[in-house]
Amino acid sequence: MAEHKQKSSLPVYLLTGIFLLILCVAVSIGVLITPYEKAQTYLNIVFMDQNMKIAPSSGLNGLVIKENEIETTPVSDIPGEQQKFYENGEIIRPAFGEQYAVLKCDDISLDVPVYWGSTSELLERGACQASSSVVLGETGNVVIDAHVNTFFADLNRLEPGNTVVLYTNYGIFTYQVSEKIQFLNTNKKYVLPTEEDRLTLYTCEAQVLGTSDNRTGVICTLVSKQFYNPAEEANS
Amino acid sequence: MTKIRRYFPKILLTFLLIFLLIGTELSLLVQHNFLTYKAFETVTNQQNLDEKAYSALESYFKSRANSTGIPAEVYLNAVTQEDMKQGILSSVSEAFDYLHHDVKTYAFTMDFTTLEASVTEFFNQYADKNGYQKDEVFQQKVQANIEEAEAKILYTADTFKFGTIAEHGWLTKLRKFLDIFKKIMTVLCICTGVILILLILCCKGNFSELLYWLGLTGVISGLLISVPCLYLLRTDYFSGFVVKDMQIFSAVTGYLTYLTKTTGLTSLVIAFLGAVSLNLFGLIQKIKNKKQTTAE
Repeated sequence: MAEHKQKSSLPVYLLTGIFLLILCVAVSIGVLITPYEKAQTYLNIVFMDQNMKIAPSSGLNGLVIKENEIETTPVSDIPGEQQKFYENGEIIRPAFGEQYAVLKCDDISLDVPVYWGSTSELLERGACQASSSVVLGETGNVVIDAHVNTFFADLNRLEPGNTVVLYTNYGIFTYQVSEKIQFLNTNKKYVLPTEEDRLTLYTCEAQVLGTSDNRTGVICTLVSKQFYNPAEEANS
Repeated sequence: MTKIRRYFPKILLTFLLIFLLIGTELSLLVQHNFLTYKAFETVTNQQNLDEKAYSALESYFKSRANSTGIPAEVYLNAVTQEDMKQGILSSVSEAFDYLHHDVKTYAFTMDFTTLEASVTEFFNQYADKNGYQKDEVFQQKVQANIEEAEAKILYTADTFKFGTIAEHGWLTKLRKFLDIFKKIMTVLCICTGVILILLILCCKGNFSELLYWLGLTGVISGLLISVPCLYLLRTDYFSGFVVKDMQIFSAVTGYLTYLTKTTGLTSLVIAFLGAVSLNLFGLIQKIKNKKQTTAE
């Protein structure tokens, strides 16, 4: 009789446990759903890097720096070799932190790698192109800056008429210095997008011990675009 | 019918006890673990925040040397990793002094005597070497440089961002909340005790049944908390934190992981105790049945 009683009460105990568990889960969800929905936007912002969980290390703050081998001696300059260039061609878009060009100016012995994006880590490695400006080859303002105590120490020696060449893995872009500029770091006039092809190079004004709010640089106009591959090929 | 009438209050009391136990557990954890200096000290040590903060400073001053021409050593020789650790812990203790009404305002600072001497010495040496006139402009430059460096060091040492929290008035809100929180915690503890006593009274004369209800309470409340905690830890959710400054990232994710692990572990212990209680209930029932069968 007692065994029968025990057998009959066992499912009751089990079902009670399951019932309570389901009830508590349902109540918890019911109570928390509204606050969660309210907090969801903030949570999505604060923990937005769910697809790129890079724990920052070595002070790069999640930045992935990529160095590229960029040929600065065009094949056409090599005796016996011929390189065909195109005026319109395929542009290879760089990733943030990627070295995608080499800036050369023989007049002031300038030879600097150019990185896409501007951060203190990249500025230690070379010149940086603002990611808000256009990629070399596109029409608009190409804005490049570097530190005055390192790569752009001699930038103020550039004079109108000097030639500046930018080499990338998809083409060569030649500019000529047209104007020397000076502006306050709060003045965005020279770094804003333009309709015409332009290269803006700038750095801090050299100052004894301390940073300066003044910027100096040059504006260059486009002389030639030489793409390695035609645009049609890229599209196909 | 009588059985259901007896059974229903126990279900209701267990249901209430589950949520009260969760509330009591969480409030006790917050009061005696999460919002204590010790918890932040543990995270600081676990995450090597002093090393990361110092590394961030090194990176900043080295990068800054490119535009200012002032060697990073001028600053870095005057601030050590140990200083950064003291700074981090000092920012935490200042915050808790404020939260516990020991001070009226949150004001975190560090001793910069060595730094000031180092920067001044460098500027003087530079001026002497290059024949730079030590006029008012020069003194202003020295002062501006010292102030800028001090601000940067304080910002870097404040890895848990108490400064920013205080700046936006959240520390004051937290202080007010903590005052109320103590009362809430007391109410929760009393309520849990009352419900527990009521449950004991309901199960009067049947200890094994009491074990069953307590076991259910422990298992369900433990699972309700530990499962989300395990999910957060398993998916490494906090690593998606958007601020990638090494020392801030480690401080925030380290602290959140510490909270989640401690909560999850405590809940698992409660769930385990619940499971033990349920097993005891089963065992007692079995022994009882055996005795009754033997008697018959």
